[in-house]
Amino acid sequence: MVVGDIATGTEVLVIGAGPGGYVAAIRAAQLGLDTTLVEKDAYGGVCLNRGCIPSKALITGADTAHSAASAERMGIHADPAVDMAALSSWKDDVVDQLTGGVEKLCKANGVNLIEGTAEFDSEGSVRVMHGGDGQGSETIEYEHAIVATGSRPIQIPGFEYDEEHILSSQGALNLTSVPDDLLVVGAGYIGMELSTTYAKLGTNVEVIEMLDSALPVYEDDVARVVRTRAEELGVGFNFGEGASEWEETVDGGVRLTTETDDGERSTYEADHVLVAVGRQPVTDTLGLDAIGLEPTDAGFLDTDEFGETDVANVYAVGDVAGEPMLAHKASAEGEVVAEHIAGEPSAMDFQSIPGAVFTDPEIGTVGMTEAEAEEAGFEPVVGQMPMNASGRALTLDEPDGFARVVADAETEFVLGAQIVAPEASELIGEVGLAIEMGATLEDLASTVHTHPTLSEAVMEAAMNAQGHAVHTLNR
Amino acid sequence: MVRKFELPDVGEGLAEAEIVSWLVEVGDTVTEDQPVAEVETDKAVVEVPSPVNGTVKEILAEEGEMVPVGNVIITFATEEDDEGTDESEAESAVSAVSEVDDEEEAEESESGTAAKGGRVFASPSARRLARELDVDIAAVEGSGPGGRVSDADVRAHADGDEDEGVESAVTSATSKIEDKEEEPAPTGDVARAGRDQTLAAPATRRLAEEEGVDLDDVPTDETRDGEAFVRPEQVREFAEAQQAAQAADTEAVQAGQEAGAVSTTPERVDQRETREPYTGIRRTIGKQMETSKYTAPHVTHHDEVDVTKLVETRARLKQEAEERGQKLSYMPFVLKAVVAGLREYPVLNSQLDEEAEEIVTKHYYNIGVAAATDAGLMVPVVDAVDQKGLLQLSEEMNELVAAARDRSIAREEMQGGTFSITNFGAIGGEYATPIINYPETAILGLGEIKKKPRVVDSESPRDSEANGAAVSGEVVPRHVLTLSLSIDHRVIDGAEAAAFTNTVKEHLQNPELLLL
Repeated sequence: MVVGDIATGTEVLVIGAGPGGYVAAIRAAQLGLDTTLVEKDAYGGVCLNRGCIPSKALITGADTAHSAASAERMGIHADPAVDMAALSSWKDDVVDQLTGGVEKLCKANGVNLIEGTAEFDSEGSVRVMHGGDGQGSETIEYEHAIVATGSRPIQIPGFEYDEEHILSSQGALNLTSVPDDLLVVGAGYIGMELSTTYAKLGTNVEVIEMLDSALPVYEDDVARVVRTRAEELGVGFNFGEGASEWEETVDGGVRLTTETDDGERSTYEADHVLVAVGRQPVTDTLGLDAIGLEPTDAGFLDTDEFGETDVANVYAVGDVAGEPMLAHKASAEGEVVAEHIAGEPSAMDFQSIPGAVFTDPEIGTVGMTEAEAEEAGFEPVVGQMPMNASGRALTLDEPDGFARVVADAETEFVLGAQIVAPEASELIGEVGLAIEMGATLEDLASTVHTHPTLSEAVMEAAMNAQGHAVHTLNR
Repeated sequence: MVRKFELPDVGEGLAEAEIVSWLVEVGDTVTEDQPVAEVETDKAVVEVPSPVNGTVKEILAEEGEMVPVGNVIITFATEEDDEGTDESEAESAVSAVSEVDDEEEAEESESGTAAKGGRVFASPSARRLARELDVDIAAVEGSGPGGRVSDADVRAHADGDEDEGVESAVTSATSKIEDKEEEPAPTGDVARAGRDQTLAAPATRRLAEEEGVDLDDVPTDETRDGEAFVRPEQVREFAEAQQAAQAADTEAVQAGQEAGAVSTTPERVDQRETREPYTGIRRTIGKQMETSKYTAPHVTHHDEVDVTKLVETRARLKQEAEERGQKLSYMPFVLKAVVAGLREYPVLNSQLDEEAEEIVTKHYYNIGVAAATDAGLMVPVVDAVDQKGLLQLSEEMNELVAAARDRSIAREEMQGGTFSITNFGAIGGEYATPIINYPETAILGLGEIKKKPRVVDSESPRDSEANGAAVSGEVVPRHVLTLSLSIDHRVIDGAEAAAFTNTVKEHLQNPELLLL
């Protein structure tokens, strides 16, 4: 403690106002706890400011331009011009509206908001450094602390983000003109989302990936649909190559050198290099040793079913609490932790956390794959519906992909789903509900679905798993 | 191995039943089909047989307890299990605890379907409920499709856990009394203010602390600054009242212990009022009456009938019947008269099928005869009244009523009625409003047969015949029976009720008509 510093006390201190932190703070305040939320940068965290929301805004813009330009088959001829600065400004408006909303909600629910960077001082107290010179700092004593500091993009040595030549995902979302050529290092979900987006905006995109496939965490057939579509959009893939060094070209662009395991080198030139090789939790700036809390090797904080870490009354939610690093997982955890602190019978017993990738087509997954179900001791049964048999997919002119449902053969409990389809991110919600509710294939199959919609594919897949699909051949 | 036995579905769609008595004790050897408990269901006491040969390991429900169908009420150690039988002789606390452990293990293995692959299939709300009730959801047996665990399963399991707890007779008696209190605290008639905030002088606060009294509970009329204000005298008064109530509680607990852990007699918590559980037959009757009264719009038609001739006829036949070993009451005559009325006005022998929206008229005559028993009202049914003679009816009815009184009557013997008769006159009274034995649509109530002065009309040859020298317009003493017929006005109109009553009257007035 600084001499002359008067500590303020709070029942619940939340560090980080992302989708985990602000939800925890609002919920805690709603439950009558005196709650303080510390944010160093912008309300809404990565999701609202640098991730989900701006990327989805940009993707929507790119989709609009692309579909207008490629609708000749439907007899529509258009040659859209993309004003990237205007698109970016619209995107910023969306972000501002949402972040402003978060701040208002926090205030309306009685959350004390403090701007600054929090660092643990000792057990039961943190020091908040306010940004900027002469802004000072203050000490806050807490009864319960919730760490919700999120994650940041991983940097490759030698490829520090200058957001001009070497872009992070955040930089890639803030370009004010459409680049002619873009190199994307990493074919994970962020790399794939942005590659497709810029390809649709007219950029020549080359993807460099050290592994030998795109979207390696997804099943082969899921990843294949997305990769094939990306290739159709003009994205080039270069597997088995790692970025080793870069230099600026005479015209201000970047010349990137890659290397294979065998030492084979290649060079690529582009306006920018986007490095999207994953994200790491932010736990190194928190002064955790002051309270004796040690992160895992990957930087995560281990938590129990109530979100509590190894240190009593210190909780962690969201990206810092481990994979999957997803906004909705963070929010769900935030809610549980707040309720637990307030003495409610809340716990993290989610049966599944859905995932979505906003590529073209989108990927939506939830629960177990067939292999995972088998590993978990189930005897899985699988049903699938190709989107080219869906009336709605055809009328959208987007027939790529499929909906797949995995269930337990004996009890017919729905265990998981993998959907690659337009609006898969929406479609997956139905199966998520089914899993949480302990619904069976029969429940999905016998629920009347609207026609013509994409959601019929889920029903058909369930029927297919039962061996009585109507609109497709049964497996 | 341990065989758990769940309370079976002892009656049509019955959700719960009261354990009247246990016929076995822990450690008893039982054979398959040997009755182990008496269970009171919808108006009947039935015996529950053992499903196995073995030894009684644990009795998990108390006498007098209402148990949901499907709850484990008793466990048996069957032959494969040597461990349990050895220990059953001296039930130490240690062995009781270890048994509970065994049970948990057994439960876990049983719930294999639900917990398959480390997963329990249940909705988030059911999982939350389990946490609320401190139930390990993996141990709950799901009743849904594929073994899905519902809220009800979680609740049933939580209730079961309580039953399985190792409780001594003393603690269970205590908790029983507490359960019945409306106030959460163990003091029955001490009024608690239960405020959120109370003002008092520091000395008063100290006094409250010494007396073990919560200031927020002390009643007061005074206020300061809009908040309740309590004085030291009030604290003392409240403390005394609390102590007195606690003493009464202790007494009641002791009384409970003396009377055995469970008693169906009212517990003497307070001299001024007593409480007894609204369970078993009383509750069944209550539910049935409620359904009837609030479903069928009742209209009661009252009339009286001169049964002087019936009184004479019965007096003659009574002797005859006694020689044949039968006690002949008026009821068989009434049964016959009612059937005559029903034949003529079949709508009174009907039922409204609400679902199908159809009036179902019965062309058979099964008449229920309400009987007051110690346990409450029961309605045994005399089948095929139209096909039986007076003596046979008399015999059957007497047997049924006797069975109802000693509660050995079977459920089936109280089902399938098409019309009911209630004889409140047997105890005294002229008119009443009988409640229809739903889903029947009519019930006839009989008053007391009394000698009353009546004007005799000589124009009616039968009457003058009966009374010999009676002159027109003369007031003479006659035997009069009063009738109260309640009808379901949805199905039966008042005119039909009156017409039916007239036919019944006619047959009671002139018993020889019953011969036709």
